[in-house]
Amino acid sequence: MRQYELMVIFDPELDERSVPETLDKFLTVITKDGGTIDNIDHWGRRRLSYEIKKKAEGTYAVATFTCEPATSKELDRQLGLNEQVLRTKLLRTNA
Amino acid sequence: MAKPVLRKPKKKANPLKAAKVENIDYKDAALLRKFISDRGKIRARRVTGVSVQEQRLIATAVKNAREMALLPYSSSSR
Repeated sequence: MRQYELMVIFDPELDERSVPETLDKFLTVITKDGGTIDNIDHWGRRRLSYEIKKKAEGTYAVATFTCEPATSKELDRQLGLNEQVLRTKLLRTNA
Repeated sequence: MAKPVLRKPKKKANPLKAAKVENIDYKDAALLRKFISDRGKIRARRVTGVSVQEQRLIATAVKNAREMALLPYSSSSR
């Protein structure tokens, strides 16, 4: 088990209130595989420093969790496939 | 022959110590902005006055922050 930190930028067209719900849906992969979610932080809408997919804004969310390496990889893959996700960053904490 | 004047470089105060920062985080865009120029480039160590190890952490943090659009790759001031 390892500690990870995940940052996701969601599409600004996605309603800000539905972002926690959407993120939770993704994070069920971790709990299903025996991992634990330690913290979720919603930053809300922020201006992007440069345009991503022609969008000037994005809804940021940061989650820290503990899980197996394969699980985190699977989560990142699933996020990358989703159209509502502009960008993700998965980092190991305390590494 | 004139002796070359050896100028002692003035030691800069470590800005991280002044700000009481322990771990450098890419999410802290406000802090990292102190280490980039107004054009978005990473400032050199001789300018920032931090240690080699810290400068390296700052550089990776800035690069991570750029990927997540927290900091610009370049600012078009010109």
